[in-house]
Amino acid sequence: MKNRMRIPAGVLFACAALMPPGATRLLAEQSDRTHQIGSKLKCICNGCDQAAGKCYHVGGAYSGPCDTAKTMLKEIDAHVAAGMTDEQVLKAMIQEYGPLAYVEPPKSGFGLVAWLMPILYLLAGTTLVIVVMRRWRKRPVTVGAAPGDQGVYVSPERLARAREQARRETEE
Amino acid sequence: MELFGSFALILAFVCALYAFCGGIAAIITRHPLLIKSARQAGIAVCWLIFTSTLSLVYLFFSDNYSVAYVVSHSNRDLSTFFKIAALWSGQEGSLLFWSFLLAIYVVSVLLTYRNKNGELMPYVSVILAGVQLFFLTISNFVASPFKALGVANSAGGFDFVARADGNGLNPVLQYPEMVIHPPNLYSGYTGFTIPFAFALAALLARYPGEKWIHLTRKWTMIAWCFQTIGILLGAHWAYAVLGWGGYWGWDPVENASLLPWLTGTAFLHSVMMQEKRGMMKVWNVWLVFLTFMLCILGTLLTRSGVVSSVHSFAQSSIGNWFVGFLCIVIGVCLAAYFKNKDYLKSENQLDSLASRESSFLFNNLVLLVACVAVLSGTLFPVFSEWFTGTRISVGAPFFNKVNIPLGLLLMFLTGVGPLLAWRKTSMESMKRNFRRPVVAGFLGAAVGFILGLREMFALICFSLCVFVAVTIVQEFYRGARVVRARSGASWLASCVDLTLRNTRRYGGYIVHLGMVMIFIGLAGQAFNKEVEKELPIGSTISVGKYQLLLQSMEQKQEKNYVAERMIVEVMKEGKPVMMLYPERRNFPANQESGTMVAIYSTLREDLYVVYAGMNPQNNLPTIHVFVNPLVKWVWWGGMVVVMGTIVALLPNRAAVVVLAPAEVPAVAKELTGMRPAQVTLREGHD
Repeated sequence: MKNRMRIPAGVLFACAALMPPGATRLLAEQSDRTHQIGSKLKCICNGCDQAAGKCYHVGGAYSGPCDTAKTMLKEIDAHVAAGMTDEQVLKAMIQEYGPLAYVEPPKSGFGLVAWLMPILYLLAGTTLVIVVMRRWRKRPVTVGAAPGDQGVYVSPERLARAREQARRETEE
Repeated sequence: MELFGSFALILAFVCALYAFCGGIAAIITRHPLLIKSARQAGIAVCWLIFTSTLSLVYLFFSDNYSVAYVVSHSNRDLSTFFKIAALWSGQEGSLLFWSFLLAIYVVSVLLTYRNKNGELMPYVSVILAGVQLFFLTISNFVASPFKALGVANSAGGFDFVARADGNGLNPVLQYPEMVIHPPNLYSGYTGFTIPFAFALAALLARYPGEKWIHLTRKWTMIAWCFQTIGILLGAHWAYAVLGWGGYWGWDPVENASLLPWLTGTAFLHSVMMQEKRGMMKVWNVWLVFLTFMLCILGTLLTRSGVVSSVHSFAQSSIGNWFVGFLCIVIGVCLAAYFKNKDYLKSENQLDSLASRESSFLFNNLVLLVACVAVLSGTLFPVFSEWFTGTRISVGAPFFNKVNIPLGLLLMFLTGVGPLLAWRKTSMESMKRNFRRPVVAGFLGAAVGFILGLREMFALICFSLCVFVAVTIVQEFYRGARVVRARSGASWLASCVDLTLRNTRRYGGYIVHLGMVMIFIGLAGQAFNKEVEKELPIGSTISVGKYQLLLQSMEQKQEKNYVAERMIVEVMKEGKPVMMLYPERRNFPANQESGTMVAIYSTLREDLYVVYAGMNPQNNLPTIHVFVNPLVKWVWWGGMVVVMGTIVALLPNRAAVVVLAPAEVPAVAKELTGMRPAQVTLREGHD
C-alpha cells in the first residue's frame, strides 16, 4: 500500500517540477478553495492522520503542511485551475490515492459502519440505563425481622448500619 | 554506571518476582512473616527502580556515549534541562520512567497503609507487584535502556565502543513543556494502577463495605488530576510548537490519553452513588478495571505502530507484550468478578427519575459512549483493513462530529446534576432550582445571537456554559448565604469557609467551572481565521483587526541550534501593539528543524504567527497567521480544573462549636442573674 502511494506522489512531484514557471503556483498563492478541499482529504505521508491542508507532520521543508501534503495541494490546485468542481476534485483525488485519502470515513459501504457505531452505542447505552433504572425502581426494600417476633426486631448492628446509611444519604 | 543501573534493574525484577509469588503464598498461608517479607520486597523494588532511573539520568548528565540510548537521545550541546527530558524521549527510557513513577505510587501506598487494612493490603501488594513485574520484564529483557554500543569484531564477538557525541534530542521535544508534560501524563496513567489494585483486591478478598472506595478516591483524584494536567500541557505544547494553529488533532496518541480520562471522570461521579446509596457497585468496579485497561491499551496503541500517529513511539514490536498483559488483566478481572459477583449486590432502590442518581447514570452513559466512540474511531482503520483489506482513515472531522453533541449533552448534565437532590426532587424544588439557570441560559443564547453568533453548536455551547455557570454560582450563593447569616463574614470569606467545610462538593463545583471555561474556549474554534503568505521584508499582511509588518529577518547561533527568525510588528486597527518573533530552528546534530510560534494572547483571541520557512524558489519568507478566538480560556479553565481538584483533595475543616450569647428575657435575667449561653454547632450546611 505504502509503495502504491509513492508512485502517484512521485509522478505528481515530477509533473510539478516539469511545469513551466508560470504554471507552478506556490503554496502561499493557492486559493482558499484549494485549502478547503485539502482539508477534506487526508495527507498520505503515513506519519499522521491529518488533513492535507493541515498536516503538521514534522520534518517537512516548511512547518505546516509537510512535503507530501504540499504535493497533494498542488494537485488539487491544478484540478481547480482546470475548472473542476469540488466534488470532482475530491473524486479524482480518491481515485488517485484510494480510500486512505479520506479524512473522514465515507458515508457508504464499510465507512458507514464508523458513522453508525456511535449512534448504536448511544442507543444501546440508553436502553441499558433505562433497563437498569426500571430494575432498581422495582427492587423491594428489605426489612429485617427476627422470626417468631410479633413486632419488627431490628438488631443493634442493623440499626447502626441504618443510622450510618441515613447519615451518608442526608450528608449531600 | 550503566552496569550499576542495569544491575539495579535486574535486582528490581527479582524482588518484584518475589513480592508477587511470595505475596500470593502469604495470602494462601496467612503467615505474618511471609506477608511482611513480601511487602518489604515490594518496597525494595521501588528503591531499586529509583536507583536504576537515577543512574540513567547520571549517564545523560555525564555524556556517557557508550550507552546506545544516551547516544540516540542526547548530545553534548543539549542543555541540562533537556537532558532530563531525554530520559523519557525514547521507548526504553520512557518505559523505565513509567516504572519509576509507578514505584513512587507503590511505595507511597505500601508505606501509608503498612499498619492498616491488614486484610486488604496483601492483595493490593500482590497486584501492584504483578504490574511492576510486567514493566520490569520489558525494561530488562525487551527494551533495556542500558544497552551498550558495540561493533562486531573479527573473532565473531563484540567490542564495546563509545561515540564522541550523541545524535541529540528530537527538536520538537526541546521545549520547556516537554519536560513537564510527559511526567504529568505518565503520572496519570500509572496512578490509575492504585485504584485498580484496590478494586481488584477488594473483590478478591471480598472486603466488606465501601472502604476500598474511600481508600482509593483520593488516589483516583490524584491520577485524574495528573492526567488532566498532562493532556492540557500536551495540547499546549502542540499549539505552541507544531505550528498548525490548533491544540487537539484527535491523533491516536492524544485519543489514547483521553480514554482513561473519560472513564476516570465517570468513576469519580459514579463512586458517589456507591458511597451515598450503596448502588452501582458492579459498575464502579468495572469502571476502575476499564480505566486501567485503557491505560495499558493506550500504551499499546502508542508504542506498537497499530495505528499511525505523529508521535514517535509508534515504531516497535513491543505491542505483543502489551497485548499479552492486557489479556491477562482482562482474564483476572473477569475471573475475580464471576467468582465474587454476589459481593457486589446493590443495597438500595431508585426512588425517582428526577434525582441526582439519574443524572449520574446519564453522565456515566455519555462519558462511556464518548469513550467507546473515540476508541472505535481510533481503531476503525485497523477494523476496516481486517474486514475489507483497505484501510479507511478516521480523522479530526469525524471525531468532532461525533463528540461535539456528546460534549454538549455532558455540559447540560453538568448543570442539571447539582440542581437535583439525592433520592427524589419535588416539582416545587425543581422549579425553584432550575428557574434562574434556565433563564440565564436562554438569555445567554439571545445575547450571543444578537452579537452575531450564528454557528449552531457554538451558540448552544455558549448557552449551556451560562446555564452551568449560573447553577454553580447559585449553589455557592445559597451556601454562603447561610454561612454569612451565622457568622456575619463577607461574601468571599463565607464562600471560602463554605468550600473548606465541604471541600469535595465545592471543589467539584470549581472543577465544573473550569470545564465551563474550557468549553467556552473550545467553542471559539468555530471562528478561527488563517492566512498564509510569502511576505517580502517591509510588507504588511492583514488578518481580522490585525496588521503585521515584517520589519526584518535575523539569524542567531545558539548552543544547540541555529535560529532564523522574523521580526514582526503587530498593529491593531492601525495602532502598534507589540513585536513578535516567530522563528525556525535548525538542529545540526540530527539535521532536523522545528518551529517556535509567536503568540499574542488575550482573553478575547490569540494572534498566532508562524514563520513557515524560506521559499527556495524565490527566497521569500513565508508567514502563516492565525486569529484563534478564546484559546486562553482553555488554558485558564485547565488551571481552574486543577485548582478545584486540589481543593477537593483537601480534608474537610472540622465542625467548630461556637458559644454565642443569646437574647434572654429580662424577667429571666432578673430571676437568675445569669447569662445563659446558646451552643451553636457550626457544620456543613448540607
